[in-house]
Amino acid sequence: MIETIQLSKRFKEKTVVEGVDLYLDKGESVGLLGPNGAGKSTTISIISSLLKPTTGDVKLDGESVIKNPGDIRKVLGVVPQEIALYQELTAYENLKFFGRIYRVPKSQLESRIQTTLELVGLKDRQKDLIKTFSGGMKRRINIASALLHHPKILILDEPTVGIDPQSRNYILEMIRKLNEQEGTTVLYTSHYMEEVEQLCDRVYIMDHGKVIASGSQSELLSILSNEDTMKVQLNQMSNELVKAILEIDVVRHVEETGDSIKIIAKKSSNIISNLVKLADQQNIKIMNFQMENPSLEDVFLHLTGRTLRD
Amino acid sequence: MIPVFLAQLAKDRRNPLILIIFIAASIGGTILFTGGTETPTTISIFSEEENDQAIEDKWESLLNEGSDMRFVVTDSAEARENVQQGQSDVAVKLLEEDYKLITTSNLPTVDYVDQHVRTVFEKEALIQSAVEQSNDIEGLRTEIETTLNHPPLDMEVTSITGEELSSYDMGTQLMFAFTLLVAMFIIGFRVNNILKDKVYGLWDRLILSPVSKTGMYTAYIAYACFIGFVQMLTVILIFKYVLNYDIGERLDLLLIILAFFTFSMVSIATLLTGLVKKPEQFYALYPSVMPIIPLISGVYMMPGTITNPVLTFIGDLFPVSHAMDAIINVVMYDAAWQDITQPLILMVLIGVVAMGIGINLVERRTT
Ligand SMILES: Nc1ncnc2c1ncn2[C@@H]1O[C@H](COP(=O)(O)OP(=O)(O)OP(=O)(O)O)[C@@H](O)[C@H]1O
Ligand SMILES: [Mg+2]
Repeated sequence: MIETIQLSKRFKEKTVVEGVDLYLDKGESVGLLGPNGAGKSTTISIISSLLKPTTGDVKLDGESVIKNPGDIRKVLGVVPQEIALYQELTAYENLKFFGRIYRVPKSQLESRIQTTLELVGLKDRQKDLIKTFSGGMKRRINIASALLHHPKILILDEPTVGIDPQSRNYILEMIRKLNEQEGTTVLYTSHYMEEVEQLCDRVYIMDHGKVIASGSQSELLSILSNEDTMKVQLNQMSNELVKAILEIDVVRHVEETGDSIKIIAKKSSNIISNLVKLADQQNIKIMNFQMENPSLEDVFLHLTGRTLRD
Repeated sequence: MIPVFLAQLAKDRRNPLILIIFIAASIGGTILFTGGTETPTTISIFSEEENDQAIEDKWESLLNEGSDMRFVVTDSAEARENVQQGQSDVAVKLLEEDYKLITTSNLPTVDYVDQHVRTVFEKEALIQSAVEQSNDIEGLRTEIETTLNHPPLDMEVTSITGEELSSYDMGTQLMFAFTLLVAMFIIGFRVNNILKDKVYGLWDRLILSPVSKTGMYTAYIAYACFIGFVQMLTVILIFKYVLNYDIGERLDLLLIILAFFTFSMVSIATLLTGLVKKPEQFYALYPSVMPIIPLISGVYMMPGTITNPVLTFIGDLFPVSHAMDAIINVVMYDAAWQDITQPLILMVLIGVVAMGIGINLVERRTT
């Protein structure tokens, strides 16, 4: 449905997006995962025709939309990263405004507004000013504003930033419903891997403007198939121990989290016995030991040596 | 386009306080700074010469003749103290054939008083020199007065004679000056909504909608024009019908001038919007630049007070001087349509150029 070909964007001297190829099939739910400043928003702006790429092309059903953005705008619903609403107006007035500028027919406008308000669970608050809303409620109206005209493709830019877990689940559930029940194609941007894991059929991982990995979740996780992730709980934390573990040649990464450490190492090695020996030497007891299922977070870690929220 | 316009209106309707404050400010400002020149202001006069009594008597009657101000003989110490403590703006110290203004400010009222007093003294000096060659003093004086009041040729109506200047209504001029100044502010803030909405991503939503770019700009600009015009209209109607200011017979011409001014000013505000990146920068820049413009355009002073060519040139680049020019002509000199075409054309010119450059800059800033 949508396809980008070698998208690049340079601002002055700085290359922010570089050679990005991605595609979205009809009815898919695709995630775009990456840390702050990876170039996610820039990529989305180019796809939605708000920014022109320095080089590369965006195609909708095989037709380039760079020169003639009208076509893609018609099928698109874009939820921006910021709360793009009139704070001084009520939720209802905002939705009515966006419904009108997106040319929802007059006869349907009222019922569309009410259905959408119901979908985001704010029907009873529609008469209240946006500026009196909580962060989570603002986010939900922010999404609702992009839904009124029944977009075939919904692009969401970090729609859950800075809100409580409850609102977050509500939003994720809502997007899943749109995708599964109404067949809306979804491009979902986030730096929370849990969200993408929960919601998306396929994932693109971006870093420093480039797509560094892509595929279904299992495909991405198979990158880690020759690695083990384990969590070791200690009776006391010791920097020396961490250093010593890092020196084991099969160990790729060690991370302290409270009273335990997370270790990523090559599979089928005798790391466990090494670990026990090192702890013994320093008189540290291993309280608990656990092999973990790798997550997309670990994939990112594997690819970049950094965590997503560094 | 219409929904965009209506959304702006809805925002201001929800929060009308700022508009009300602006309207009240132009009314309050006018009344405060003119000291309500509509009611005669009392001005102390005194003399410290030997024959002070005679001097005071003579000038008191001459000064009060045909003036809406009231000149009252006051004890000199008291008059000086009043000025020093700010209770009155100005007092006049009388000499035999000359005068001195005692003042601590240069408020427009001071200019106004000065104009009147000078005219009276100059006229009297003329009469005196004529009298010196005549015997029949009283007869001559009456003759001169009659001649001045009923000139054989009806020339003085258009020439700037003493008579005309003394009837010049500074209060009305200031009323318009403040109204325009306040409108400049409100227009600027509304034009700046473009920038504000850009920062918050609303602009992007509009771009993605079927509304055209032209439609978007038109809506924002039309709204800024609308709100600026409504503000000025409200103030002027209040002055005319509630406070009974004399603003001439041609309300229609005034409204046309204000409409041209509004458009021109919106363009200037668009240009300034194009020069900054963030709405906050605009909020810092605009209110610090705007009050200076009417000042160097001389709209708070008697026409012709500012003679520095650099200042007049800068002043002429902004619509407020042309609007004021046209307004004064209509209100005080009964100008007709054809007399104000030049300032109108200049305002359109400024408007078109500033708007063209402004929109281009605004566009370039963000893509
Ligand atoms: N208009 C611009 N001019 C210059 N640099 C820009 C511009 N827009 C974005 N950038 C830079 O491009 C980089 C990528 O920005 P982008 O907003 O696309 O990242 P992101 O992945 O969306 O990050 P976040 O998770 O913080 O939203 C950043 O370093 C940013 O500073
Ligand atoms: Mg972003």
